[in-house]
Amino acid sequence: MAHFITGKIGQYALVLWVAVTLNFFLPRLMPGNPLALLAGEEVGLLTPQQRTELLAQVGLDQPLPVQYTRYVQNIATGNFGYSYQKNKPITTILAERLPWTLLLTGTGLIISTLIGVTLGALAAWKRGESGDVGLLGLFIFLESLPAFWVGMLLVALFAVQWRVFPTFGAVTPWVTYTGWDRVMDIARHLALPVTTLIIVSVPGTFLVARYAMLGVLGEEFIVVARAKGLRERQVLFRHALRNALLPVATVFTLNLAFAFGGATVIETVFSYPGVGRLIYEAVLNRDYPVLQAAFLMITVLVILANIVTDLLYPLLDPRVRHAYTQAIGGA
Amino acid sequence: MLWRAVRRSPLGLLGLTLLTLIVVMAVGASWIAPYNPTQTVGKPLEAPSAAHWLGTNDIGQDILSELIFGARISLLIGVLSAAIALVIGTGVGLMAGYFRGLVGALLMRLVDVVLVIPFLPLMVLLAAYLGQNIWNLIAVIGLLIWARPARVIRSQVLSLAERDYVLAARAVGARDGHILIRHVLPGVFSLALAQFVLATSGSILLEAALSFLGLGDPTQKSWGTILYYAQARNAFLSGAWRWWVIPPGIMITLSVLGFALLGFALEEALNPRLKGRGATAEWRASQGHGSPGLGGRLKRLFTHPTSQPGSAPDVG
Repeated sequence: MAHFITGKIGQYALVLWVAVTLNFFLPRLMPGNPLALLAGEEVGLLTPQQRTELLAQVGLDQPLPVQYTRYVQNIATGNFGYSYQKNKPITTILAERLPWTLLLTGTGLIISTLIGVTLGALAAWKRGESGDVGLLGLFIFLESLPAFWVGMLLVALFAVQWRVFPTFGAVTPWVTYTGWDRVMDIARHLALPVTTLIIVSVPGTFLVARYAMLGVLGEEFIVVARAKGLRERQVLFRHALRNALLPVATVFTLNLAFAFGGATVIETVFSYPGVGRLIYEAVLNRDYPVLQAAFLMITVLVILANIVTDLLYPLLDPRVRHAYTQAIGGA
Repeated sequence: MLWRAVRRSPLGLLGLTLLTLIVVMAVGASWIAPYNPTQTVGKPLEAPSAAHWLGTNDIGQDILSELIFGARISLLIGVLSAAIALVIGTGVGLMAGYFRGLVGALLMRLVDVVLVIPFLPLMVLLAAYLGQNIWNLIAVIGLLIWARPARVIRSQVLSLAERDYVLAARAVGARDGHILIRHVLPGVFSLALAQFVLATSGSILLEAALSFLGLGDPTQKSWGTILYYAQARNAFLSGAWRWWVIPPGIMITLSVLGFALLGFALEEALNPRLKGRGATAEWRASQGHGSPGLGGRLKRLFTHPTSQPGSAPDVG
């Protein structure tokens, strides 16, 4: 288990290092004006003085190892540079955008996991019956839908056609709500984007949960539980589901990269002011430093979410918990 | 071989039928399409009519013709990027499965890194630096979706490398390269084919997302690019979304579904070993890499296991 934890941490550190190093080398290896690639297309509009400052700041005249060290130092201290496009430090921009992405992706992941696991367990329980087959067909189909297209259809129907939900943004512009009204305003804006994320995320969880459940239901301890005369519901939720949750947790971590990627297109459709929408704006404006910082930010989010899931693992599985306490005690 | 594999699976047949229709459409685009999709042939935002079955877009181009020609771009990008992914995936899978020591461990580390990194934002970053054309899109997608095929192929190689004929070849002093290419590679060929079809399903979906984010080639419109313009030009405000937004999405969904169903049928028919217990952990671990994970899930749907080994997590 100790080996497991260090191995995981090593892996995440490696991912982070790869992301940072890619970020460093990409603008320096691409053809074109490296200054524009490092500071955005806006550099053409800078005053000579700003230009000199910028050159010194990125240190393009220094040897690569020096540039690299400085780059890593900057990142480590949360200094992502300056967006001339938005005329703000990138760290400030990220701080504004981060809460919205966390709200959208967090809510979406939690709800879709709950729905996916519950439906998957029920489908496995009723396997082969019409409900199971229907859900399977439905989710195979949903899995093939492009996330952004689902979002576009929801906007067209629920925001434009029937005017039930707002068409864009995270809050109503030019109005300052307070207290409960503010919560409701945010919830109304969140409804369509989060529904889109749920529609595209549930199929994966459902299919894995259903399969894991089928496996567990065939095991001897389930037969024993039934033989003891326990009610089916008890067997399903008390005995089977707990075991089936383990593969679901594994898949959950691997789905994180998918969910944060999905959030990028979904935020774009709904003009939702998160890090994903920031990526779209940066592509549109060729604001490379912001693009890089947003990518790094999402990588960090995925890694953090992975770590949280890894830490929850022992809570789900007594076997892992046991091994874990032993490893700690033995260390 | 292909036909025999698919014949017994109704869903595989459905997939094959869908794909045949779409491929015919793409190949015969010049004959089938009523108009040149790049020319203004009607008034802007015309509703569907006898002259324009799916109406026109904001600059009066025929949307049906755009869809038919768009099939070429979407399929081309999907198939070629899957081919790149397959070449890398097979190479890494072969080496990681055959050389167990340091090389194998390092390669699997690399696979894990690629699986954890948020690939869509990374694709956006790379595509933005490289510039908008379809070859860059193909490269960017192909270079980031090979990890799942690599894992699946490695698991097959792990068992192939223990077979008698491989051991015999080694015993008579054959070189590693020779053994890998002459004895191991043929054994993973059918599995690789199924992985290729599944990767195509995933890369069509990824291409659509990237093009929707404005990274598509404006001169060669794919289905995703059509949707990018529909969004950018506010198709929603005019009611044009009914003919401008719905059809391209349906085309994307049908092709993704077609490749996925076919890939599942192939994977199951050509590789009976995957039905057994050993593949389960590998399958589980390979889940979730966005849409390319679809195949594994689908595969599991139709091989209802009655019993399965205890669900011990893969912890070291």
